[in-house]
Amino acid sequence: MGSHDSPFVETALPNGLRIVMEVMPSVRSAAAGFLVNAGSRDETPELAGASHFLEHMCFKGTPSRDWRAINIDFDELGSSYNAFTTKERTFYYGWVPADRIDAQIELLADMMRSVLPPDEFDTEKGVILEEIAMSKDSIEHLAWDLIHEHLYPGHSLSWSALGTEASIAALTRDQMHAYFQQRYSPLNMVLLVTGRIEPDRIVETASRLCGDWPAIEPTGMREAPVMHGGTVVEQAGRFNQQAVGWVCAAPPAGHPDAEAARALASVLGGSNSRFYWNIIQAGLAPRAGVCWLGYSDFGMMMLDGLCLPENAEAFAEAIRREAGEISRQGASETEIRRVKNRRRTSLAVEAEAAYHRLMQMAEDLCDYDRPRTVAERLAEVEAVTVERVATYLTEWPIVEEGLFLSLGPRKWPEAQIP
Amino acid sequence: MTTTLHRRLDCGIDFAAEVMPDRPTVSFSIRFRSGSVYEPEDRLGVARLVEQAISKGTARRDGRGLSDAFDAIGVQRGSGTGRETITFRCTCLPEYLQAAIDLYAEMLKTPTFPDDACRVARELALQELAALEDEPIDLARKLINAQAYGPLLGRDPLGTEQTVAAVGRTDIEAYWSDALAASRMAVAAAGAFDADALAGQFQAAFAGFGQTSHEARDPIPLTFSPTRRHHPKDQEQDYMMICWPGVPMGHPEEPVERVIVGILSGGMSGRLFTEVREKQGLVYWVGAWVARPRGSGMIHMGASTKPDRCDRTYATLLREIDRLAEDLAPDELRRAVTGIAARQEREADMTQSRAEDLAEDLLHFGRPIPVEEKLAKVRAVTMDDIRRYLSEHPRSRLSVLTLGPKPLAG
Repeated sequence: MGSHDSPFVETALPNGLRIVMEVMPSVRSAAAGFLVNAGSRDETPELAGASHFLEHMCFKGTPSRDWRAINIDFDELGSSYNAFTTKERTFYYGWVPADRIDAQIELLADMMRSVLPPDEFDTEKGVILEEIAMSKDSIEHLAWDLIHEHLYPGHSLSWSALGTEASIAALTRDQMHAYFQQRYSPLNMVLLVTGRIEPDRIVETASRLCGDWPAIEPTGMREAPVMHGGTVVEQAGRFNQQAVGWVCAAPPAGHPDAEAARALASVLGGSNSRFYWNIIQAGLAPRAGVCWLGYSDFGMMMLDGLCLPENAEAFAEAIRREAGEISRQGASETEIRRVKNRRRTSLAVEAEAAYHRLMQMAEDLCDYDRPRTVAERLAEVEAVTVERVATYLTEWPIVEEGLFLSLGPRKWPEAQIP
Repeated sequence: MTTTLHRRLDCGIDFAAEVMPDRPTVSFSIRFRSGSVYEPEDRLGVARLVEQAISKGTARRDGRGLSDAFDAIGVQRGSGTGRETITFRCTCLPEYLQAAIDLYAEMLKTPTFPDDACRVARELALQELAALEDEPIDLARKLINAQAYGPLLGRDPLGTEQTVAAVGRTDIEAYWSDALAASRMAVAAAGAFDADALAGQFQAAFAGFGQTSHEARDPIPLTFSPTRRHHPKDQEQDYMMICWPGVPMGHPEEPVERVIVGILSGGMSGRLFTEVREKQGLVYWVGAWVARPRGSGMIHMGASTKPDRCDRTYATLLREIDRLAEDLAPDELRRAVTGIAARQEREADMTQSRAEDLAEDLLHFGRPIPVEEKLAKVRAVTMDDIRRYLSEHPRSRLSVLTLGPKPLAG
């Protein structure tokens, strides 16, 4: 059982696989996931998209199951399941009625030993290429990719986690297998389990299923990126809207300033925010917001949205104006209190579902290398003050724009600022 | 042991509440029996504009003041306009429940609809119409609805450019005055509260709200059009939507139909994912779902694929529509039922899910239906039931839509 103060139980198998569990006695379900420290930033240009394609291939065959059996077994459990790949991690998870958690872990663990069946490789390649095509019909996805391409040129962060048509078309099963062996070691993975669970039993199950995974030292080094600035203008006539925004440097995940970054993003561009009243409710754009993204060794503050092309100038000017004003005035006590109040409610909602807690635990493990309690997360947001936000704004300015983006039907601004 | 209260309050509200002891949140949903199907023909979109503008000022405070008041008690708010309902949702900590009810009452009963706010809501709605063109799945959904459901159910809550541009403050206020009233209101709540006391709180807050009586609104008939249309659009993928009529909620065959949709699309072992994606790699997205306005039902299928593969994808979907009648296996039925039951069990702890479920029960059945009663009907579905359903509901008339660079060949 968890200790008196903590609902968490943590241990590790001899081969290095960490197991992090949260006991939630008042829910009827349980959720489990394997978090792998592998993402698109671990790729070389030839391997662009390999982490994500690999994520798909882990559903295509194991030593004891073909893809049919994997899918059938998930659905026999009545699981709600999926996986995702980001620039830094891959996560496979399932959420089931509490009495099926052992079987869920067994299925996921089996998938982590995928045989990457060569027979399925080309068919699944077709699926990935469809996913890439689908992403190109999303102006938000395109804007996101364009931003990274120009923020981190020449770095593995510059390409989409999906890869490119060219890199995916050229990727071989053997290349993927080599990558898989380098990254999917128990030393590079964590098993997370939440819900109405018995930790001793989970550890026993994990030991039986994963104990013989070879403890290979994961290879590959993550190089810290250097953020570039500038203006990126790309014309895309097939969209109706213009994506406009700025990206500035921000603290990385787990940094002492992370909570101030979150609070600032909420006050400036979240619900009931300055962006909401002064930009959206001024009729300038239906979507405008601010988002802090913290990666392991760098962070980004994005101030952006979508507007009608003819409103691009006014929209950009409004973003600039709001960023400037908060940089001069800071956030008010009332604005920060709102963030805290909303956080209290969202923490309570989170506590009702094993799935929500699993997702949050995965994030905490990436950002802090450990799970965090509700009390800790409340205390962190409670510790954000007017002064801390003011200090944040001087240390991580949002008015010296890092990268400016305009993507849409208009080729605006016409003159690119060198 | 679940305690669920259902009562028609004196003020006219249809009230249902499920007591969930020890839940850390409380959720309620307020639904008005008013939506796009009830709008004047030349003012389509006005219901949504009411929903958007209603929070922008009350007799007591302006829009920001109202938002600040919600934030002072940490309310998670949501709202939406559909075919037949305008919904306002709330999740909050239990200690703020009374304060939340009071704020919703203030907002819904005494809005001021400031001129500026009405103008901006209209302007943003026009911008949302433009934005929809950049969201292929949502656009395809809007187009198939317009094509297949008939003139009233086929309306889009966003309205049209023409009709939205014509909406003024008087239209918004007039629609609010008719549409939002206690007698048109259903409340569904879930959480740790005293249900009787909660009923009393809503009665006190909404007594005298709006016209005291309205004619009951009958379900709107679904007029199905088996058409095929292509909408050319410069996109990387072609989107296809297929639909055909199903049965309404409450129909004895509804559980059978629900299981069938689960067999097609309940999980990755569903037929569509298996045949279209796993075996042929034709798509990233493919699925089936069912829409149930009051009194009717429509079964949908959708997929998106690159233009040179759309004929093959379409052919596969057509084949799957009928193949169930040929070679259904018992384990498929079992898995579909397992999925439906498991979902219910997973979400049983969440006040938001329970409140939504109760709201749906009130809309379709006029009373809460115990979860076990619904699940028992699903568990009772047999292979024979499915075969009988498929033979009695042939899928010979389909409405088909494609959106993208290339129309279908055949």
